[in-house]
Amino acid sequence: MMSLLGISSQALFGQLLLGLINGSFYALLSLGLAVIFGMLNVINFAHGAQYMMGAFVAYLLLQFAGIGYWPALVLVPVIIGGFGIVLERTMLCRLYRLDPLYGLLLTFGIAMIIEGLFRYGYGVSGRPYPIPAALQGGYNLGFMFLPVYRAWVVVASLLLCLSTWFAIERTRLGAMLRAATENPVLVQAFGINVPLLVTATYGFGVALAGVAGLLAAPILQVNPLMGSNLIIIVFAVVVIGGMGSILGSILTGFGLGILEGLTKVFYPPASNVVIFVVMVGVLLVKPAGLFGREK
Amino acid sequence: MLEAASPLLEVQDLHAFYGESHVLHGVGFSVFAGEVVTLLGRNGAGKTTTLRSIMGIVGKRRGLIRYRGRDLIGLASNRIARLGMGYVPEERGIFAALSVEENLLLPPRVAPGGLSIDAIHILFPNLKERRHSPGTRLSGGEQQMLAIARILRTGAGFILLDEPTEGLAPVIIQQIGRAVRELKRTGLTLLLVEQNFHWAASIADRHYVMEDGRVVDCFSNDDLDANREKLHRYLGV
Amino acid sequence: MLRQMLCAIALVGLGSTSAQAQFRSDTLKIGVLNDRSGIYADLSGEGSVVAAQMAVEDAGGKVAGRPIQLLSADHQNKADVGANIARQWIDRDGVSMIIDVPNSGVALAVQEITREKQIIFIASGPGSSRLIGDACSPTGFLWTYNTYAMGVGTGGAMVDRGGSSWFFITADYAFGQSMQQDTSQIVVQKGGKILGSIKHPLNTADFSSFLLQAQSSGAKVIALANAGADTTNAIKQAAEFGITHGDQQLAGLLVFDTDIDALGLATAQGLILTTGFYWDFDDQTRTWSARFEKRHGAEPTMVQAGVYSAIRHYLKAVEATGTDDGPKVAAKMRELPLDDFFARHARIEANGAVSHDMYLAQVKAPGESKGRWDYLKILSTIPGTVAFQKPENSGCKLVAP
Repeated sequence: MMSLLGISSQALFGQLLLGLINGSFYALLSLGLAVIFGMLNVINFAHGAQYMMGAFVAYLLLQFAGIGYWPALVLVPVIIGGFGIVLERTMLCRLYRLDPLYGLLLTFGIAMIIEGLFRYGYGVSGRPYPIPAALQGGYNLGFMFLPVYRAWVVVASLLLCLSTWFAIERTRLGAMLRAATENPVLVQAFGINVPLLVTATYGFGVALAGVAGLLAAPILQVNPLMGSNLIIIVFAVVVIGGMGSILGSILTGFGLGILEGLTKVFYPPASNVVIFVVMVGVLLVKPAGLFGREK
Repeated sequence: MLEAASPLLEVQDLHAFYGESHVLHGVGFSVFAGEVVTLLGRNGAGKTTTLRSIMGIVGKRRGLIRYRGRDLIGLASNRIARLGMGYVPEERGIFAALSVEENLLLPPRVAPGGLSIDAIHILFPNLKERRHSPGTRLSGGEQQMLAIARILRTGAGFILLDEPTEGLAPVIIQQIGRAVRELKRTGLTLLLVEQNFHWAASIADRHYVMEDGRVVDCFSNDDLDANREKLHRYLGV
Repeated sequence: MLRQMLCAIALVGLGSTSAQAQFRSDTLKIGVLNDRSGIYADLSGEGSVVAAQMAVEDAGGKVAGRPIQLLSADHQNKADVGANIARQWIDRDGVSMIIDVPNSGVALAVQEITREKQIIFIASGPGSSRLIGDACSPTGFLWTYNTYAMGVGTGGAMVDRGGSSWFFITADYAFGQSMQQDTSQIVVQKGGKILGSIKHPLNTADFSSFLLQAQSSGAKVIALANAGADTTNAIKQAAEFGITHGDQQLAGLLVFDTDIDALGLATAQGLILTTGFYWDFDDQTRTWSARFEKRHGAEPTMVQAGVYSAIRHYLKAVEATGTDDGPKVAAKMRELPLDDFFARHARIEANGAVSHDMYLAQVKAPGESKGRWDYLKILSTIPGTVAFQKPENSGCKLVAP
């Protein structure tokens, strides 16, 4: 058996694959953040809370309405996206003329409130959410046991990321979004309803967070704190990838997931800081991020 | 005949503000259907602000802007565009993140009768060749052509054209001039801000002169020679 | 010269106050310091405050003629935050006793302060045996459980059941390290082997990587030396990766009822664990737990029950001595007999350990459970004398080895 620094190649493949799975979450969440930041210039600190809400809505749907995973796959993004739209229309939209810092503070406050409410209602131990019957079990890959559900997470996340990328980079709607990112005033003067576009974009970004929450629900405990634990890492991913860069956030998300996976093999206690170390390095060398455009 | 009686666009006592600064102080003029009208004046006279006020993209404005019988004050700029008002900004507003073709297709059609892509490619052959390159890779002249072309596609009947010849080579200016005359022939109405007085004279029907945020004079293109002296004083040529 | 004078004055001042006032303040203040919003909030948190309120009410709301006042605060699992609150409580608010403090890291910091200030500190939430070992304090007590006892219980039982080789997944802070160390000791004593260990950061969401490494080690027992959400996520993911379907077994070294409630029996069933208290153990525990459940909406964890038991005992000692003076009360607490619904066959040792019966339990299968909170089968009682380390072996300087 081949080995690298005392780690067998089998273990290494396993960890790479696991890293890819975690990277799927980073990619999905940072993609949502990037889309929102690009269009609204708002750093959506409520993203983690919205991810958590996605998981909780799935749990509540199952618990109180008997609605399972597959319908939730449609319902959760609609509900969470709708929540985002209300948030944008009632609060966030008042802040666009101000410094982006205000948007950050508002969304941060909203995140605290949402988390507090869920903590009050459900405690911190979390609730269980089962893996859907069709995705139970696993494949024996030889070098590791891959649960079917994890494979599905990677596939679903890749699909979502790629279709988002396609929609933004290759469609007419995406062209409007990109144009509105550059010069919203002119785009509106062409007859396009930019405020509506902004609302829809926020709703979409938030819906992505909701879907990520749903994908995570069967893996992690559905826990009011699950978002705040993850969101800081995701922000680091966005900073490394470059604020507002779509492709950058996808690639960085998957890449850093893998890097973190490798750290868990070679020096586990550092696994929660390695991303931040990379972030500091990237900021020093390329402040706009790996895929960001210098302004 | 009725058209001639009531102007297509009528501006009265228009005031506009950027933050605290009061830029337009009661601008008034009118444009009739099918006309090409220019706003002349020195830098800072308020010409561009006038166009932006009509389009609804200044901070604050008040007064009267009546277009096809509708008051535009209070309408959001996207609603104004949907009434058939096309805007070609001074800085051209070509989007770097969009290809030439995407730039061209970006503004939605607001009225029937816009130019087809083929017609546009005949009018501006360069845009066809470079349709897949990023918008801002085009030369200044090509960008100007693109900015005009994308508005022509929308079917807008009234076009606000801000300094179309600024910084362009004479041969390009000629090409744009040909295009504008061609458009005029098809019945489009144009309101033009222009520094290049000679070029303006070659295409416009009437001229308004602006100074310090007000319209101070007006004469038809036919009376241009008679007023040349006065005009030079206004423009400081 | 000046400094000497000041010292003399200070000494005089000290002498006079302690002679006149037997209490630090007009009311007797008890501070419940724990995690109100983080990963340990369910197993201690508000529930510990409710238990404390019950204890105060059951004592008549007064001790030695003084009203009893409860304070509570969130240490956010940060040692510096916890230490600052403890200091403020003692110096500014005249708090006489601090209780609970889950998270051994925070508890160790509070132990330093209360030792220096001679204030009673009763730890119910944390488990690090260092609190009664090298970091012990004359006024410090570890009431509910400790890592050594959990190691003896779960570690011993698992080795007896054929778990001869072990791999640890350990939370990288004071508790996890103590837990691993104490359990390893028992396992090795019983002839088991330690094949390896991994340290993970506190608050890890994804354990698959660690589980995979544990799995490939081939160890028969994969031991989770962590707590709260870390434990539940690890258990859930172990099931997902099919680890427990093979010949490997999972050992949760610290599993609370609230964790099982969060996981659901389908995932948690079969898990062997050690606990210092189970609400459904006998009539005594059921009676008290029913009162608690009515007020808090959940059955008590051992930490919450421990808080009640500890405050009752503390108040008895204050009543008996007529003071809140730390060392005097601590001595009285050791002297007074302790035996209540929580602490059975209990003895308070010189190192601050409260040795009492512990229970080896197994999580029920969904079919065996009659409803929410009916989670554990008690397999056996581990007498305090077995579960708790002899004080002279604890490394505590207060006890001559």
